[in-house]
Amino acid sequence: MKNIQIILNAILSKDRFEYILVDKKFKIYDFSLGVNKYFKKIVQNGEDVTEILPELVGSEKEIEEIFRNKTVTYELESVYKNDQYVNLSVEHYNEDILLILLHNITDKTVSQQKILQYSNESILLNSTLQKILDSQNALVFVTNNNEISYTNEQFLKYFGVKRVSDIKRNNLRIYTYLDNNLESYDALFERVNSKEEYILINKDTFILQATWIESKNKLFTLTKVTNLSNKIQIDTLTGVYKKAYFNTYVEHMIRKNEEGVLVVLDIDNFKLINDTYGHQTGDHVLKEFAMLIQENVWSDDVLARWGGDEFLLLLQHTSKEFALKKLENLRILVSEHTFNEVGHLTASFGVAWKEENDDLHSLLQRADRAVYEAKKSGKNCVKFKKK
Amino acid sequence: MIRKKILLLGDFSVGKTSLVKRFLDGTFDEKYLTTIGVRISKKIVTLNEVECEMIIWDIEGSTPRKKISLGYYRGASGAIFVGDVTRHETIDALVHHKEIFLSENPDSKFVVAYNKVDLLNSIAKDRIELEIENDSDIFLTSAKDDQNVEDLFIKLMDNMLK
Repeated sequence: MKNIQIILNAILSKDRFEYILVDKKFKIYDFSLGVNKYFKKIVQNGEDVTEILPELVGSEKEIEEIFRNKTVTYELESVYKNDQYVNLSVEHYNEDILLILLHNITDKTVSQQKILQYSNESILLNSTLQKILDSQNALVFVTNNNEISYTNEQFLKYFGVKRVSDIKRNNLRIYTYLDNNLESYDALFERVNSKEEYILINKDTFILQATWIESKNKLFTLTKVTNLSNKIQIDTLTGVYKKAYFNTYVEHMIRKNEEGVLVVLDIDNFKLINDTYGHQTGDHVLKEFAMLIQENVWSDDVLARWGGDEFLLLLQHTSKEFALKKLENLRILVSEHTFNEVGHLTASFGVAWKEENDDLHSLLQRADRAVYEAKKSGKNCVKFKKK
Repeated sequence: MIRKKILLLGDFSVGKTSLVKRFLDGTFDEKYLTTIGVRISKKIVTLNEVECEMIIWDIEGSTPRKKISLGYYRGASGAIFVGDVTRHETIDALVHHKEIFLSENPDSKFVVAYNKVDLLNSIAKDRIELEIENDSDIFLTSAKDDQNVEDLFIKLMDNMLK
């Protein structure tokens, strides 16, 4: 008892510790005067300790064990008491008395609280920023060693992956969507930097943009414009694509080095229809013709109106032989179809197969020449033009 | 008089302290002040003519880097698990908080507060109400607008006295 009091006095002299002694009925037996600063009332001997330390409620049995067992203690850290923070410790004093030590840790805890507050606010801010990023267009952050280090949720959704590591695992290289010949994100950046590129991912159209981040990292933004693009690019009369959109498809096919057949379709003697039945009927014929072709090509073939009675058709993922057979069938279909108001019509087909070093212009030029030859050779036929 | 130790558990910044403050003295403070350690308060409530003192432990929220000290869980008769309806991850985390609490106090009772409901638009609120309509232990609460706060604490006390 005497030794403990000496120790206690030594500790108390630093004004760091206060003590309360309690008996077996949890009544206060003795206490250091400094304990009053932790409570809103004056502590008195004989008082139930749980009135001033409700922290002990619920743990009474555990605390009672301390009377019997010197090795058992009950400890609570960082307890807020009347604008102070204490570590609370209940220890064996003797068989009838327990020692409750209140260690003042206010200075340390207030410092920790400031750090925790800052940290929590940062996490909240980070979480908000993350939500903002996720709600934006697809974003890809590429480091200076050409590694994708971050993508937002939109990006992961477009590409059907769950996390950034899946991109590497699936060998997903965004630059190949723009051009098969590109070999890195650096190359993609060179290509896209300070301008916009349209790229097709699956059946969606995106605008791809690139920006430097801290002069060594690259941020790529993919903005999905499929719906907008489709609306803008549709010919209002016939419901098929306009030529500008068709051009994008052909350029994409050429860049990706895919096989394809470009066809120019021209309704034979269309001027006569306008002259005979009027322009309104002519418009109806154009619409019916476009619908007839559209319904008889595959969903990944692209039909567009070039202007007047000329249409463009891109047949993808097909062999030359199969394409010619398909076009011959289309020609027969048109010639056998009974058009409302005008009856039977025919159309001429000019075909060009994508060859080495072809670009949009050369491909289109050959198909146009082919349709010219089809017209010259009596119309209602399919003509193929080699390079 | 019956005395029951109850804990408020959940991620940081979900509004645990605000719920306690609203329940104890009917006030609300917009300013976010992180709780560190534990703050213990008392309130006497009378339920079915039984007077009961609630010893309310407002415990610091867990963060990705700092978990709650298990020492706080000892001897608790009940818990209120609090999530923030505007941060879905805090609602998802409630399963984890429940698991830890019930592993320490298997016979204890609990209720759940989906807090900050004042920040939801009516469509989102309707959707959550529909989700929880069959669970009488989940409350949509707002410490700011004083929505269901008293009911939350009373329901827990009722569960504990059964």
